[in-house]
Amino acid sequence: MNTHATVAAVPLARRRHRSARQLAPAIFLAPAVALLAMFLVYPLLQSFRLSLLEWNGLGENSVFVGLANWVSLAKDGLFWHALGNNLLLGLFSVLIQLPIAMALALLLDKAGRGSRTLKILYFLPLLFSSVALGVIFKNIYDPNFGPINAALNALGLPALAKDWLGDRSYALAAVTAVICWQNVPFYMILFLAGLASFPPDLREAATLDGASDATIFWKIKLPHLQGTVRTAAMLAVIGSLRYFDLIYVMTGGGPEGASELMATYMYRTVFSSFQLGYGSTVASAMFLVVTLIAAVGMRLTKRFETEV
Amino acid sequence: MKLAPLTAASLVAAGLTCAAAADAQDSKTISEWDIQTQPASAKIIQDALERFQKANPGFKAERAQIPNDAYKTKLKIAFGANEPPCVFTNWGGGSLREYVKAGQVVDLTPYLAKDAGFKERFIPTAFGATTIQGKTYGLPGENTAAAVIYYNTELFAKNGLTPPKTWPELLTVVEAFKAKGIAPFALANKAKWPGSMYFMYLVDRIGGPEVFQKAATRAPGGSFADPVFIEAGRKLQELVKAGAFAQGFNGLDYDVGASRRLMYSDKAAMQLMGSWESSSMKNENPGFVKKVDFFPFPAVPGGKGQAGDVVGSVGNNFYSVSSACKAPEAAYEMIKTMVDDASVQARLVDNRMVPVKGLQVTDPTMQRVMKLVSDAPTVQNWYDQELPPQLAELHKDTVQSLLGLSITPEEAAQKMEALAAQILR
Repeated sequence: MNTHATVAAVPLARRRHRSARQLAPAIFLAPAVALLAMFLVYPLLQSFRLSLLEWNGLGENSVFVGLANWVSLAKDGLFWHALGNNLLLGLFSVLIQLPIAMALALLLDKAGRGSRTLKILYFLPLLFSSVALGVIFKNIYDPNFGPINAALNALGLPALAKDWLGDRSYALAAVTAVICWQNVPFYMILFLAGLASFPPDLREAATLDGASDATIFWKIKLPHLQGTVRTAAMLAVIGSLRYFDLIYVMTGGGPEGASELMATYMYRTVFSSFQLGYGSTVASAMFLVVTLIAAVGMRLTKRFETEV
Repeated sequence: MKLAPLTAASLVAAGLTCAAAADAQDSKTISEWDIQTQPASAKIIQDALERFQKANPGFKAERAQIPNDAYKTKLKIAFGANEPPCVFTNWGGGSLREYVKAGQVVDLTPYLAKDAGFKERFIPTAFGATTIQGKTYGLPGENTAAAVIYYNTELFAKNGLTPPKTWPELLTVVEAFKAKGIAPFALANKAKWPGSMYFMYLVDRIGGPEVFQKAATRAPGGSFADPVFIEAGRKLQELVKAGAFAQGFNGLDYDVGASRRLMYSDKAAMQLMGSWESSSMKNENPGFVKKVDFFPFPAVPGGKGQAGDVVGSVGNNFYSVSSACKAPEAAYEMIKTMVDDASVQARLVDNRMVPVKGLQVTDPTMQRVMKLVSDAPTVQNWYDQELPPQLAELHKDTVQSLLGLSITPEEAAQKMEALAAQILR
């Protein structure tokens, strides 16, 4: 009798156990899913819905215009120009920030413990508020009072003393330089972390085999870090496509839209021109562009990974 | 999901702040937003709000001061979320019209009708910018502003120059300063509205005030492609080509004083700016005020506009009450207190003139501004405030491009007319 009862009880307990086991992950995931839905999916869908309206964002006076905003966007030279600027920013972010960050990381890694102070110093730009940085650099670039042009003039190079933020040809480059300066430390820390996980015996073995420092870097360290570099490149590109703050503070997208990015253009359409519908179209297009480029980027870098 | 509890906590925190914000809209608390960030100007409003609280026991005033350009965004978001402050500062014209069209602003006409004595205190043109289809939505509160050309008297005297009265004379002055290595004009045009002042004056001097009025109201024959706008663009570019503006003008930021410091350091001789600049200069650099004076924008020979016409605003800024306000009567009392006699006198000390009749101005510079405005055949409101926001933005963009010499006056005019035809009905 006794044994019989136990046999019958086991599957029941196991069944209960199994359903509890299925419930647990659901419970643990629920907050994440709820937050994602509330702060990502819902606003995203809302912004797509708004992109179908002609609306100034005030009151109940919106007009449904279907895809008209999207058609205007496709023909909007300012938007394409802004997208081009975003891509340029992405390209230069990768080409400038990552090599500098890698060089700093290698040097700091080599210096070891003695480099703590330098590490903190190099890290500082990332800790500053972008708005404060923007205001400081606006003054540094000021063609009449800024130290850059004062120094160039003092050195007898007035031809190089340009109107950094007020000239269409230099505005984007001038802000890009500050953006790079601010973001290099981030990638530096990323690479430093990667280098810290580099097994010292590998290096020892290579040195014993007579490999030079350069060979060790190019043939061993860089391949070891390739995952980190890939992540860094993706982050730099995606960050550039969504970029807003320093451009907004330093040039406002100007002069004459020369440094306009998708995000500053969206801001201007919504908050200066009161076109919430069209601004949402710009925002949604921005989302599509970022998603598309991120997807393609991941694919391409994955292929690179298998080749190594 | 280590993040979840943290995010949840911040969610709760956000919820609490929301609740706090909602409380601010209860019927006894009157929230007020303005852009008076200079300490002396801010104190005038604070004092007025205290007088309001004393005269209306139980009511609490809650003030927020916000810098000019950030304010425009903040106000837009607040109205969009239908949580505007009870009392808000504005510029009348196109942007106020957007809020009025959305039914978010209290019509003050009935209040003023019951309060005729109070309304009579102001000069009649003071309600022009806030009157939309015969109804008044705002009280003139801060200043009477006219765009004038400020100039450094010392630099003029040193170079044997006198204030120019005509366009050719102005070009001569420009040339003279240029030759001395001094920038003739300081201009900080990052925000684009300072550059627009030159264009507005040129349009008026060349074609008279009707040209813009007709184009903006779509009256028969009115067009932004009118030859007058094209000629104004040409004259503006003539000024740029003559080297009239300090280096970097399209990138300099007015809000951080980039144009004023060119004046303060004797690097630039003149600046076309609204007469509120007197108050800014007095607050920032009292020593410099002694050697600065102003003259009206010169006449263009053969132009239809009268040399006395003024671009500016009577009453700017204005104070309005939002429809979301739970106690509109109290809010009306509040804005009345903000422009009561004590406030008007305090503003006078701060170099600003509320457009009330018989204002006893003693400062000679301000007397001249007041006379300029009261004698003016017409006072043209700023285009970027008068036009609907989208067109205003395009106006500022095209003028910045004209100043950057990257589009022709014809292209600029065509662009304006194309959008105007589309959105002005």
